[in-house]
Amino acid sequence: MITCKSCGKENQDHYKFCLGCGGKLEAASAPAAATPGATATGPSAMEIARTVLPPAPVATAAGELQAEANRLAPKPKGGIPWGDSPKMPPVMSPFQLPPNPLATGNRGPRVPTSPTGTPALEAVLAPSAPAAGPPMTTCPTCGKPVQVGFAFCGSCGTRIGKAPSGAAAALGVQKTMYGSGAAPTPSPAVAAPRGRLVLIRPDGTEGGTHPLHDGETLIGRGQGALFEADAYLSPRHAEFTATAGGLTVRDLRSLNGVFLKITGDEALESGDIFRLGQELLRFEVISPPQPLEDGTEIMGTPNPGFWGRLSVIVGRDVDGSAFPLFGDAIVLGRERGDILFPEDGYVSGTHARISLLEGQVILSDLGSSNGTFLRLRHERTIPNGSFILMGQQLFRVEFR
Amino acid sequence: MPGRPCPHCGTEVPADNRFCGSCGGKLEPAAAGPLAAKTMFFGANQVPGRAKLTVIKGEGTDGVTYQLNGTDHVAGRTEGAILFPDDPLLSPRHANFTYKNAKLHVIDEGSVNGVFMRIKTPMLLSSGALFLIGEQLLEIEPSPPDLGPQPDAEGTFFYASPKRPSKMKLIQRLRGGEIGMIYRSRAETISIGREGNDVNFLDDPFISGRHAQITMNADGQVTLTDLGSKNGTFVRITDEAPLNHGDYVFLGQQLLRVEIT
Repeated sequence: MITCKSCGKENQDHYKFCLGCGGKLEAASAPAAATPGATATGPSAMEIARTVLPPAPVATAAGELQAEANRLAPKPKGGIPWGDSPKMPPVMSPFQLPPNPLATGNRGPRVPTSPTGTPALEAVLAPSAPAAGPPMTTCPTCGKPVQVGFAFCGSCGTRIGKAPSGAAAALGVQKTMYGSGAAPTPSPAVAAPRGRLVLIRPDGTEGGTHPLHDGETLIGRGQGALFEADAYLSPRHAEFTATAGGLTVRDLRSLNGVFLKITGDEALESGDIFRLGQELLRFEVISPPQPLEDGTEIMGTPNPGFWGRLSVIVGRDVDGSAFPLFGDAIVLGRERGDILFPEDGYVSGTHARISLLEGQVILSDLGSSNGTFLRLRHERTIPNGSFILMGQQLFRVEFR
Repeated sequence: MPGRPCPHCGTEVPADNRFCGSCGGKLEPAAAGPLAAKTMFFGANQVPGRAKLTVIKGEGTDGVTYQLNGTDHVAGRTEGAILFPDDPLLSPRHANFTYKNAKLHVIDEGSVNGVFMRIKTPMLLSSGALFLIGEQLLEIEPSPPDLGPQPDAEGTFFYASPKRPSKMKLIQRLRGGEIGMIYRSRAETISIGREGNDVNFLDDPFISGRHAQITMNADGQVTLTDLGSKNGTFVRITDEAPLNHGDYVFLGQQLLRVEIT
């Protein structure tokens, strides 16, 4: 974030002008000044994450170990740094999650004694919790605890017995952790997932999780039970990289892309694609006419002030309607606005706005029910609680 | 052997002669195409369908008149006898008004922007044909058949906006070549005008209230009909077209009326 020196508004790192007052912004403190075109490399991504999540762990290897130790030490719920970000809507705190209906069956004896349903993530991430009852292991696919001896994960259905030997070794570690009961000695070998993707079903309930371990996690059709049935997911679709400094996501040139639910104003580049309800839309800049080499200009309707165009994508390389963008702002909605999608029940009455400000084109959600999702062009650091659309499915990202 | 006329006496002489066999006049080296064209003006008086082009200025006032007394009359920004040096929409050499079998034709000389003719009767549009209504340069694109979902090589299906079958698209082309608006029609007809139509151009003062209509028949053929508009509907010709008395032709920004006596 860049805080505007004139009006104090927070702006995204790649903005050149303040969205609040239009004043020129100075680049954020050196490492955080990521341009939209730059691929976030490891260190800079961490730096960016650090600005978002204030009490960030140290990035050195030794620091990570220390962070790991801190993480494993018992601490009050409110003291978790990732729950403190002012940007985070409270509902996105993993500690206020509703019980996961799929996770309750196999969590062992803790479940009956916890009528409110302790969130599964907490169970995974807080290994120091007293664990009485049957020994537990962790599902290699979704990270949920599974009772030792069970052949299938009760959460995602993965066959546990078929785990490869490497994973089995890791499971052994987990089993020790959960089974010991006493506070375990923090160990760098402990590989509890740093985060997870929570599938959000169309009705809003949760439908299983997929773990995000330290390092890279490949998401694609065939990479986990959550993704098997989604024919809109490429076999290699996206890569999540989890570090102590934050989580990044990168589209692996998938057919349908990775979409992030926007939470603030997003600068649009020509060619950017976004989802509004069921509509897949592409924004393009309309350039001023240029004469050809022999001095001839291409004939056409005199441009009445169109600076952009919004096309409805109706097939691969096939566009349907296209709407010109003009004036200061164009409002998109189902019932009210300049561009209407009256047949799409997933579009809110007034849904989103595309505005032109100081030469930048800005996409903003206007408090829609289902959100506005921007297809990611570049690797991007995403905050905890982000919503990601991949294939036909919506996921909430949780990590620490 | 192909001959060429002597520039001094008009006698046909072999093309490679250096002097005229009839009058002894010196001949320019061969391959002088324009020379041949120029020479043809000698026969101008014998052209039966003499015609002229009148430039129409705003509000119906007529401008310059060009007599078409030769065989070829090239119009362009920098080449030819009919010059409009200030019109950037004209190619250097844009069109040729020529007589073929005593009938006046206009030939598009490979111009960037083409030659448009005002339609007098409903006109069948070929795919990709551009037409002019007021200041609007438009195009009709029939919708391709819906093949249903097709997976890519990896077996992944493409996510697109919900399918809403349409017959055709009306595309607005902006000056400079960019697409402005695309109207997708589910019906077999699209009416165009300034108000009360399927597609309205409220700010275009050259468009009539109800101006033109597009109709697609069962075979997917598209017909453009002018609905008695004030300024007419113009369709870009492919390659060449015969001209009759009273035709209107747009070259770049120049509107020309054809008068044949």
